[in-house]
Amino acid sequence: MASCWWRWRRGCFWRPAARSPGPGSPGHAGPSGQRAAAAAVARAQFHHMTPALCCCSKTRSGEKYTDPFKLGWRDLKGLYEDIRKELFISTTELKEMSEYYFDGKGKAFRPIIVVLMARACNIHHNNSRDMQASQRTIALIAEMIHTASLVHDDVIDDASSRRGKHTVNIWGEKKAVLAGDLILSAASIALARIGNTTVISILTQVIEDLVRGEFLQLGSKENENERFAHYLEKTFKKTASLIANSCKAVSVLGCPDPAVHEIAYQYGKNVGIAFQLIDDVLDFTSCSDQMGKPTSADLKLGLATGPVLFACQQFPEMNAMIMRRFSLPGDVDRARQYVLQSDGVQQTTYLAQRYCHEAIREISKLRPSPEREALIQLSEIVLTRDK
Amino acid sequence: MSLRQLLKRLPYFGASGPPRRPLDTISSVVSWRGQSSRSPAHWNQVVSEAEKIVGYPTSFMSLRCLLSDELSNIAMQVRKLVGTQHPLLTTARGLVHDSQHNLQLRGLVVLLISKAAGPSSVNASCQNYDMVSGIYSCQRSLAEITELIHTALLVHRGIVNLNELQSSDGPLKDMQFGNKIAILSGDFLLANACNGLALLQNTKVVELLASALMDLVQGVYHENSTSAKENRITDDIGISTWKEQTFLSHGALLAKSCQAAMELAKHDAEVQDMAFQYGKHMAMSHKINSDLQPFIKEKTSDSLTFNLNSAPVVLHQEFLGRDLWIKQIRKAQEKGKLDYAKLRETIKAGKGVTSAIDLCRYHGNKALEALESFPPSEARTALENIVFAVTRFS
Repeated sequence: MASCWWRWRRGCFWRPAARSPGPGSPGHAGPSGQRAAAAAVARAQFHHMTPALCCCSKTRSGEKYTDPFKLGWRDLKGLYEDIRKELFISTTELKEMSEYYFDGKGKAFRPIIVVLMARACNIHHNNSRDMQASQRTIALIAEMIHTASLVHDDVIDDASSRRGKHTVNIWGEKKAVLAGDLILSAASIALARIGNTTVISILTQVIEDLVRGEFLQLGSKENENERFAHYLEKTFKKTASLIANSCKAVSVLGCPDPAVHEIAYQYGKNVGIAFQLIDDVLDFTSCSDQMGKPTSADLKLGLATGPVLFACQQFPEMNAMIMRRFSLPGDVDRARQYVLQSDGVQQTTYLAQRYCHEAIREISKLRPSPEREALIQLSEIVLTRDK
Repeated sequence: MSLRQLLKRLPYFGASGPPRRPLDTISSVVSWRGQSSRSPAHWNQVVSEAEKIVGYPTSFMSLRCLLSDELSNIAMQVRKLVGTQHPLLTTARGLVHDSQHNLQLRGLVVLLISKAAGPSSVNASCQNYDMVSGIYSCQRSLAEITELIHTALLVHRGIVNLNELQSSDGPLKDMQFGNKIAILSGDFLLANACNGLALLQNTKVVELLASALMDLVQGVYHENSTSAKENRITDDIGISTWKEQTFLSHGALLAKSCQAAMELAKHDAEVQDMAFQYGKHMAMSHKINSDLQPFIKEKTSDSLTFNLNSAPVVLHQEFLGRDLWIKQIRKAQEKGKLDYAKLRETIKAGKGVTSAIDLCRYHGNKALEALESFPPSEARTALENIVFAVTRFS
């Protein structure tokens, strides 16, 4: 199956990339070098992904190649120190718990997108080469809201490991929940201090979406079409809303044009959905060492993600398993086998490509800038990432 | 928060009828000292009077929350927990049967202080149209947000540690499920609070309430870590640390909400500070009053337990010194179980209870002092009566 897919992909989508991000490219150093090395490992594995597979970027990126993480990180120096400063907590243990995930080991994917978007919008607006302090604060807030939701998700899912270390649950669920609330309150304080009511409303929407997404995850739909729409809505609310709305927030701070706000929002939304779709694929194709968390985790939680829903079209016998949320013994393994035999993984990846495509189409409406190119590049990295 | 609660209150809707004569007057602080103990009837009367003054106690935010798909879904799911010992059930029951009439006290105080302060001279002309019973609609939303935040933390407080479960608690799976629902419903209430805050379009108010949330979380954390050591000897925290922690867990939200209510009506910093002081000291005396109940009630059943971290106990410990206190606890222990009746008598024999009463009155007086800067009105009288009610002891 996998080799079929490989050929199919080569036929339709795979184009040898002229400037593919790889270990040999200039400008790869530090964390991105590791990333590239990891990508090379992934390529060696049978199923996983290709570098730079979005067909449109080469034609549009006229400027010289820049590593988006390197470019974005220039504005994010001291990100985690600054976040820890926002958590002014007197109790040692509570502070330790709240700071636990701000250890600099995360991908900082959201802050990177946010600062790149901020600069792309500023340049688009009046060719400004500066970034406002408030825009950088949005990057901090995005990471904080994300982390707060991770902490609560881990308690809800009773997860034991994340990013290669144990979850805050080892302190006990009682305290872990409070740590999540605390990070959220610190993010709200930082948000209020920006002093812009529009920005407050935009990011408040994220908090509401995160909760509603979690509720959507509780329910499942009988009807297959509804099930897919339900899945995409959940994906938007749980993952993409944060990226979309923080992109929108920095665009509001940087530029008065509502059309630009919409571009920023649409880019973030599409990249965010693609990001989660690939995350759902990786839950099937990656091994747990790479992910830093156990795989098949979604199935174990009873969740039918993209690959399962596509597989179910080929193997209708999966319907019953989906409806009972993989609760019978052996369901998880059987479902996993069905998914790997089907083209669920490929279909989901293809869908993610379409979202990335749309993201690139949106961002290309902005005036060219190194940051705009980096955002295009980033949407490709989303598709090729292996962790 | 509950439908029952709301329905109970619906007849009040829009009614701002003539209030009955308040029971106490502010004329002398001494006059209310040493009066008969706070009876539930008296307390209920003070609160009902106050509710009439503010017209209607809440906006419909909680009704909207309650009728939303998400929460009705949860209500159905909570039924699965019946039969377990998950604290979420107790919290939910408390929301429906509000026996102590304390449920929406915070919101009520925010409304009363809004009305007591009245419209500010700065924008008296522009915003009067959305005033009902002398309270701006944004202040009503704020009162509701205060209640939402309080309830959310009440729900999150009731998460259980899964590795400490007793077999009597119920099956692990159900307790896990209870945690899941508790986190989600607490988050849902918080998200609604955030949403309401954003709609107020005032960044200072958002900052105040966000910092109140941070205080509250830290306060609950302290409270959890002390109550987790039930039956064991508590840390020797001393009354000043106790006050700081109690401000975080019981005072900060009310104090900062009262201040925010002033900010919404564009009152100056001085008025804002007075409102903050009232909220803070009223909440402190309210908390000390409820800490005192096990020690001053005429009839207490022997099995009635009390918190070893409550004001009278902490004060008792401070007077006695650490070593003697540990001896007293050891004496009251039988087969590893603490005999609360015995320990209560020991504490009552010491100075802890009377100095807790003094502390309660000290905060009550501070609250009344803060009110003096507000012009006399029925709302101010109601705020005073709340203080009188929590500072009465026999």
